[in-house]
Amino acid sequence: MTLAVVNVSPIANKKFHSLLIKTKSEIEMALTKAASQPTTIEDERQRIRDQAGLLIALADSNPLVRRWAARDLLTYSNVSAALVERLLIETEPSVIEVILTTLTRIGDECAIEGLIRCLRTENAMLRNAAIEAMKLLPDEIAPFISHLLNDPDPDVRIFTVDVLESLRHPQVESWLIRVITEDAHLNVCGAAVDLLGEVGSECARPALLALKQRFPEEPYIQFAADLALTRIAAG
Amino acid sequence: MKRILIIDDAATVRLYHRGILENAGFTVVEAVNGLEALEHVANTVFDLYLVDINMPKLDGYGFLRELRSKDIPQAPAIMVSTEAAVNDQKLAYASGANLYLIKPVRPQRLLSHVLTLLGLTLPNPDHSL
Repeated sequence: MTLAVVNVSPIANKKFHSLLIKTKSEIEMALTKAASQPTTIEDERQRIRDQAGLLIALADSNPLVRRWAARDLLTYSNVSAALVERLLIETEPSVIEVILTTLTRIGDECAIEGLIRCLRTENAMLRNAAIEAMKLLPDEIAPFISHLLNDPDPDVRIFTVDVLESLRHPQVESWLIRVITEDAHLNVCGAAVDLLGEVGSECARPALLALKQRFPEEPYIQFAADLALTRIAAG
Repeated sequence: MKRILIIDDAATVRLYHRGILENAGFTVVEAVNGLEALEHVANTVFDLYLVDINMPKLDGYGFLRELRSKDIPQAPAIMVSTEAAVNDQKLAYASGANLYLIKPVRPQRLLSHVLTLLGLTLPNPDHSL
């Protein structure tokens, strides 16, 4: 086997940093492939700039093209639906990240509903990223919280509690109190009581005591509620 | 003394599991997400991992896949999640989990599984878990 070390330009070097030592034939194949592609990131971005072109680029096979398209679509209106549709099938983490950033910055109703749809996806990475994005939109997400906390799927209710974790909104405590008072699902209550230990006030005390009464045989609920009560008492 | 890494973004859950494991004599280290856990793994040898699924930055599946791809001594991993869906369990095992438990895990159940995976028995069989 012939080994070789290649010297390439800085940009090409970025592409080939993992190929520094390869067989000669592998390097030749990689160089041929690279030659058929634009040589700089700006080249990728300059391909198409109008809305229609960017929407097409959003489905390009090259993740770099999709990433730039998702970023540049921010300057156009009525693109949330297309971004959401792409988001739900996108597999490249860096593209998902950019789409979420763009949707967060757009923040219209369609973008919010798209983020909420991600709570139901089987893709844990996408779901978690969407939850983090939703935390950045407290005022936009707030109108949907009550509805989500009544969702028939307990996982969606748990993820909604996760959204509340860093949501800077005055109703967070009252939503959490409602959950531990009304929700019948152990894990939904468990998620809410965790958070009440961090954001709860004296207002939460009666609900926490009632929760302990509702789940007397559940060690985790007893532990978490006691911890929350202790933290609240400590101020 | 066996060392266990708890990976969970929920502080209360980490504290709950830490209490159970430390009471049984284990040394416990905590990480708040998969990325932080990988930093611990780079510096410390663990005997067992207790891994949540849904975490920011790097979730439990991603952590296990990274862990299992590393050329280091491998240790058993228990994935702990609120999700009971069969698909999640399949994904957990495919990612490298040795066991999948659904939260909340009762202390005796958690300890029993940890001991089994580590090939240990309690010093005092009459000890109430």
